[in-house]
Amino acid sequence: MEEFLHAIDTLTIHFTLAAVLLPLLAFVINFSLPGRLHKLAGWVSTIAIIISCIISASVFSKVWNGHMVHQQMYWFTIGDTKIYAGILLNNLSVLMLLLVNLIALPVHIYSTAYMKDDEGYRRYFAYLSFFCFSMLVLVVADNLVLFYIFWELVGFSSYLLIGFWFTRDKAILANKKAFIMNRIGDTGLLTAIIILFSQFHTFDILQLFADKGLISQSVIQGGTWIAPLGHLPAAWQYIAFSGIFLAVAAKSAQFPLHTWLPDAMEGPTSISALIHAATMVAAGVFLLGRVYQLFNDVELTILAIIGCFTAFMAATIALTQNDLKRILAYSTISQLGFMIMAMGIGAYASSLFHLATHAFFKCLLFLVAGIVIHQMAHIKKDNGLDIDPQNILNMGGLRKKMPLTFIAALIGGLALIGLPLTSGYLSKDGILIQAFEWAEGRSGLYKIIPILALLTTWLTAFYVARLIAKVFFGELKVLNDHPGIQIHIGDGGWRYKLPLMLLALCCLFPLFSANPLLYEHAWLFNGFTPASSHEHANIYHTLVPIGVNILSVLVICGTYAMYVKRKGNIFPQSGFLYRLSAGEWYFDRIYNIVIIKPILFLSSAVFWIDRTIIDGFINALADIGVKIAKLCAWVDHHVIDGFLNLLVAIVEAIGNFARRFQGGKVQYYLFSMLVVILLLFILKTVF
Amino acid sequence: MNILTLLIFTPILFGIIVAVLPSAWRDSFKYITLLATLVQLGLSVWIYCNFKTGADFGGVNHEGQFQFVQKLPWIDLDMGAMGKMQIEYFVGIDGLSIALLVMTSFVLVIAALASWEIKSNLKGFFVLFLILDMAVIGVFCSLDFFLFYIFYELMLLPLYFLIGMWGGARREYAAIKFFLYTLFGSVFMLLVMIGLYLSVKDPATGNHTYNMVQMMNPANYQAGSVFSALSHQTIFGFPARAVGFIVLFIAFAIKVPVVPLHTWLPDAHVEAPTPVSIILAGILLKVGGYGIIRVCLSIFPDIASADAYWLGLLGVISILYGAMNALAQKDLKRMIAYSSVSHMGFVLLGIASQTTEGISGAVMQMVSHGFLSTMLFFLAGVVYNRVHDRGIGHFRGLASIMPQYTAFVMIAFFASLGLPGFSAFIGEAFSLMGAFKSHSVNGLLPYWMAVCGSLGILLGAAYFLWTLQRMFFGQVHLKGGSVWETALTDLNFREKITLVPLALMVLALGLMPSLVFDKVNDSVLALVQFFQHTI
Repeated sequence: MEEFLHAIDTLTIHFTLAAVLLPLLAFVINFSLPGRLHKLAGWVSTIAIIISCIISASVFSKVWNGHMVHQQMYWFTIGDTKIYAGILLNNLSVLMLLLVNLIALPVHIYSTAYMKDDEGYRRYFAYLSFFCFSMLVLVVADNLVLFYIFWELVGFSSYLLIGFWFTRDKAILANKKAFIMNRIGDTGLLTAIIILFSQFHTFDILQLFADKGLISQSVIQGGTWIAPLGHLPAAWQYIAFSGIFLAVAAKSAQFPLHTWLPDAMEGPTSISALIHAATMVAAGVFLLGRVYQLFNDVELTILAIIGCFTAFMAATIALTQNDLKRILAYSTISQLGFMIMAMGIGAYASSLFHLATHAFFKCLLFLVAGIVIHQMAHIKKDNGLDIDPQNILNMGGLRKKMPLTFIAALIGGLALIGLPLTSGYLSKDGILIQAFEWAEGRSGLYKIIPILALLTTWLTAFYVARLIAKVFFGELKVLNDHPGIQIHIGDGGWRYKLPLMLLALCCLFPLFSANPLLYEHAWLFNGFTPASSHEHANIYHTLVPIGVNILSVLVICGTYAMYVKRKGNIFPQSGFLYRLSAGEWYFDRIYNIVIIKPILFLSSAVFWIDRTIIDGFINALADIGVKIAKLCAWVDHHVIDGFLNLLVAIVEAIGNFARRFQGGKVQYYLFSMLVVILLLFILKTVF
Repeated sequence: MNILTLLIFTPILFGIIVAVLPSAWRDSFKYITLLATLVQLGLSVWIYCNFKTGADFGGVNHEGQFQFVQKLPWIDLDMGAMGKMQIEYFVGIDGLSIALLVMTSFVLVIAALASWEIKSNLKGFFVLFLILDMAVIGVFCSLDFFLFYIFYELMLLPLYFLIGMWGGARREYAAIKFFLYTLFGSVFMLLVMIGLYLSVKDPATGNHTYNMVQMMNPANYQAGSVFSALSHQTIFGFPARAVGFIVLFIAFAIKVPVVPLHTWLPDAHVEAPTPVSIILAGILLKVGGYGIIRVCLSIFPDIASADAYWLGLLGVISILYGAMNALAQKDLKRMIAYSSVSHMGFVLLGIASQTTEGISGAVMQMVSHGFLSTMLFFLAGVVYNRVHDRGIGHFRGLASIMPQYTAFVMIAFFASLGLPGFSAFIGEAFSLMGAFKSHSVNGLLPYWMAVCGSLGILLGAAYFLWTLQRMFFGQVHLKGGSVWETALTDLNFREKITLVPLALMVLALGLMPSLVFDKVNDSVLALVQFFQHTI
């Protein structure tokens, strides 16, 4: 029996392996596909993801709420530490495995139509498959080294895809920004992993973070963080947390590292849907889920505060943006903030639940945006207009031209707002209710968090309503501005319609719960909650949903009246708050002044030091050497040689003098003899 | 015939052939050189495959555990009262050398292929190239300090001429700077070497010896000799062993190079022709790192532990300082040169930690950087050969006109900035891991050093991506206009067969680090154990 079970587990692992490796295979095939077959690339990737999806579903059905499956194989040894690579399947990983595949599938189908005229068609699908591969391994990785590797690789594939149109300056600035921002997070994660490794001597996620794992056996006592195998000063526990927080903030676009995500919208819209809305950006939340045991109360509270603040901030920015994709990007940041906040307040299950529901409705909204932008771009191209196809101020009235897209947008929008009967209602209300419960037992200041969260949901209702009103209701603005232009637009072919319909269905409640009103009945929620822990029916469970939804509906009506019925805009389009929102809270500008400029200045200062001081010193040494050498040469020439020359000169002078006595003339000899004799006589007489 | 001896002297045989062939056959010289390096690569791969592992083959301070040893008496001078002078031809390898040896042979093949760009005075170039080839291999195999020193100095001579005669515009300046800088270090090394010789006696023969392995055993030091740990001699009032260590360290630190002894490097790399840049960055820098492990740390382990903090600090400074400088560069080759400074900082940090992770990581980083810097300099050479310009700001949108070239640049850049899946990630991550662990294992390095070191990874992304963005992406815009656009053709066949193996190597090492670690582990464990015994 034991053996039989083991064999089944091995089979499950093999299935998972196949699901994970199929996209890699597609990547390799696409990469080596000869140029003339490049149209096949789309189908190669799509078929890979379809099979992968089916396999994941079977893995999911085996593992969900069953027992955990974990197998690993030896990878390499460094010193005396053995490193293994393996697959860990539990509720969290199989959910993510299936979710990523479920989202990736419609995006693949959609992409075959969306990208069909692009000359980088093959490259696009190669990158896309590579992303799917990285993301899938990330969710099933069983140790932190493997996790880190694929954590970076998803960032890398995101870099490739944001900069897919590499001749556009904005796109390549955006992808550089995204990668560097993510690198900050990666550095944090690496630091955290290093700390955990030196504290616990293992990278294995299960050993570290299991129920009675090493992390839960470690305690902080008197300034020391004590683990079964080692100890560190307590500060390092907080530094490890900070590292993980940075990683989460970078990948899931949380304050203060969120600014890359809106810029990342420069990539193809289908990519925004898959990577920058549904899957990769949720990896931060997934990481929190994986290492949840590590955090203590203080750290959880920090998460809650940051998440809540991010949710609120991003929502306020979304209010005034006019770029369709940017609004959605800020909405993604805002929703991710909700998930992080949920993790912080201990609503672990709700957080992951929201991750799943959000993936569907946000992906749907992006695909809708893609179709709308595509059609606007058609109008622009057909009529040679100079308009921004992403600007919602140019749109309007599209519901008649593209009814299916409109309905899909409506469903996605309602789910995003979180109205009943949608999946978003189930997950978001859970978070709000638990936020109130969490604040209940705490001092007054903590009450700000649920209130801010509440406010954010109404802001969400407003910007979603505004977006739908501007895009689908009223008159087509571009037609008003340029009367007489040709307009041939529609929903597009089945490869557009099918993904929309699939995703729209997944945005409704039946997929998640038989009861459209109570989140506690959702199977996904229960998969992450110990059975005993959710029977605290209190006042919030009725009050919050009612309050939230009534006000949300009011906000929607107000917005509809304002933008569609033109009852006048009650909000000023000027003033500090408006500018703060439209300027995206000036984060980019502040970072530019406070961080980028000083670093560039520092780097040129360092280079100046290198050239002037260090090299200057070396050159000065060389100069001194040369000067001393010259001095030596001078001394050699003038002093030592001079002395010798002097000697020579003296000898020469004496010689010259003496030479005169030997001229060879007899008269001269006689004369000199006479002089000498005379001199002798004179001297003799004198002395 | 001992295979190491064969490996060392193969190039010189080919060198003689090149030297005696008439100049009219100059077109064949490059093929002869390539053949020499290929033969060498074959030999070293054979050595790699037959290299035995296990606790009995640790090497380091156990002479019997070295492999492929050849030991011949070389200079035996009877010096009367001073005893016999014993200099041996002693070659052998352990785990610390094997990985670098294979990497070196590989890089030399690439350098030979890169030599296609040399157009003038071919005979001189290839003869010098092959002499250099012999010297670098010799350094990694020598176990006799005297032999080591000869090979070490022998590297300088050909390099001086290779830079000074075939280099760029400021080649004379760069060549002299390089030569004097390195000579400065090695002259003092000579003094320490003689001091060690006079302190150490071979227990078997009772003669003084240059045998490095015996220098690692404190028992072999004569009582009262200058470098004996027990006699506490001083030089200029400083402990003699500390002075000896520092002098040797400076000599090797110049090679690595460690900030602030690095300023020869940007000039030499920038002015050198591509094959010489490749040898400089790919191999010469590793000689420094190898020397620090094999000579400084192994002969003076006591001082190395006492000064580990400073070594680590210099490592961290090199990482950050090099990265900052790289960020400020406007010349592609200079940017790569400074990135080398930054990457070699990880090596020093890992070594200083004296942990198994740190030292293995350092060796991995050296091997990885050997391949990657080769690739980077080769790539910089590609664009320079076509338009004789390397200014980062002078190019834009190269991806549109040279897509294959850009693909390889992206591989090299991302591998260098430590993208997982490539070798540099393993090297850097484990160097940092060792540095962090050091405090709890042996208390040598403070925790913050690893954290600061990891900032280097962040800055690495910044300068590589910025360069990528400025030179390769965006609309095509070249300083030289359409003349450049026609000159900038995509990679040719020779360039591709040069780059593909390099890319495959860095990928293979990233996915299967055991290729290096399996061979290195036993020696690293032996080394760490050796350190623990001496502390």
